[in-house]
Amino acid sequence: MIEIQNAGWYTTIQDLGRFGHQSLGVPVSGAMDLIAFNWANRLLNNDPNAACLEMTIKGPSLKFHQATHIAITGALMPALLNFNPVKMYEPIQINKGDILQFSTTKGGCRTYLALLGGLQTETVLGSKSQYKGLTRQHHIDKKSLIPFQEIPFPPKRAKIKKQLINYGDLKLEAFEGPEYHLLDTASKNTLKKKKFSISQNNNRMGYRLNEKIMQQLPQIWTAPTLPGIVQLTPDGTLIILMRDAQVTGGYPRILQLSDDALNLLAQKSTRDRIKFEITSLQ
Amino acid sequence: MRKSLPFAFFHMHPKALLLEWQQEPNTELLHEINCFKTTVKNHLKEIHQITQGYCTLLIQWKNDLENPAEVKAKLETLFWNIDFSKGNEKLKHWTIPVCYEGEFALDLEELSSGLNLSKEEIISLHSQPTYKVFFIGFLPGFLYLEGLDSRLFFPRKKTPRLEIPKGAIAIGGKQTGIYPALSPGGWQILGNTPIPLFNPDKKNPCFAASGDTLSFDPISYEEYQLILKAKNPTKYLTKKG
Repeated sequence: MIEIQNAGWYTTIQDLGRFGHQSLGVPVSGAMDLIAFNWANRLLNNDPNAACLEMTIKGPSLKFHQATHIAITGALMPALLNFNPVKMYEPIQINKGDILQFSTTKGGCRTYLALLGGLQTETVLGSKSQYKGLTRQHHIDKKSLIPFQEIPFPPKRAKIKKQLINYGDLKLEAFEGPEYHLLDTASKNTLKKKKFSISQNNNRMGYRLNEKIMQQLPQIWTAPTLPGIVQLTPDGTLIILMRDAQVTGGYPRILQLSDDALNLLAQKSTRDRIKFEITSLQ
Repeated sequence: MRKSLPFAFFHMHPKALLLEWQQEPNTELLHEINCFKTTVKNHLKEIHQITQGYCTLLIQWKNDLENPAEVKAKLETLFWNIDFSKGNEKLKHWTIPVCYEGEFALDLEELSSGLNLSKEEIISLHSQPTYKVFFIGFLPGFLYLEGLDSRLFFPRKKTPRLEIPKGAIAIGGKQTGIYPALSPGGWQILGNTPIPLFNPDKKNPCFAASGDTLSFDPISYEEYQLILKAKNPTKYLTKKG
């Protein structure tokens, strides 16, 4: 069991996501940065779908009531284990009664904590990812107790080469969306050349950008969306749909981020800048 | 010469193809899309997910499509081999009890003065038609319904409510719908159903499916309370077909 002494700024439980129920209106959810999430589980030789903690901006303080091993990946978020600094990107041994305290991120936005065997919270519609209305809790709070199985032996040493990702990179690979062709040359040039910045309206559902596109496109008949779709709203605002986004929408879809770009964007937050690198899949 | 496909392919994501029909939504198109969806599900076992909108299907794979041209050709062949004249026996009709009274009818007064219709007329116009379920989206269990009487078309609220109660029956523009969970929203609320639209603990969390039909049955406040307190409220849902 993990006791939450302080929940941090926004901490949730996530796995790879909830699949097969999108036709009932259920969002995919899952870890926002799947690259960092996968690393955390691989370091412990976990099942790829093992549930982890996703910690945003400021991490929690945790007390472990059983021994285990953990791994921390993603945004650089300094942590103290019983008041001693711990390293990221390597398995860490945890003893019964240990206290792990995270501070705020220094570069990047989301940090992952994997635990040997994964967090053993409730599974709803095939996933442990927390989502309002589906799981009993939609984020971790001070009263949360997170169960896990005590596995006495250390994880098999994972043979992996650390992949370095620069979270400060502005470039996001994007494909032309279904309504991209309706944009005029000026709007297309703005999308291609301008540096956009992330507004304070950014969360697991979507990221709104500060700069606008000065062109109105007609609304579309409500159609399926995907995480990474960039919508253009009637007032010119761009909204990038993230993992908890609704599965259908009526705003024109002008771009679609690549998976790598979506993972990179998950490491960005308010005021961070981005630039679209647009190609076509047609 | 071969007929041209009624839809166009759009390679939206390395793992996903979007199929778009260039026409206004209608029930024949819905039938065509649903027949095609079923065929694709049955014949292409490797697909990961398939979702739909009014005039669209989105097919997703687990991995990047290495040869999209080949996949498109396969989908085209599947489409031309469907017998669209066959009806779908699995479609059902649902009658949903709705209380249009008191605390549930938050905007009935506003609708009544705005539409120049009495409350009774609004309730009657709303509960008489048979609505068609086009698809489910927006929120878990939110049904996109077609068939609202044009006399009830009414604009959304200028400022959306921060909280619309679970089960609220509402009108927004030319559409009517049921809010499956507490959520913000801008539609005008005229009633509430005690029947849960989405239950994640069930194997089939949402009773309705795309292509089903549905109607609303006005009930009293007392009947509403009775259904709400019942062990299994879903048994008050009448199913035909």
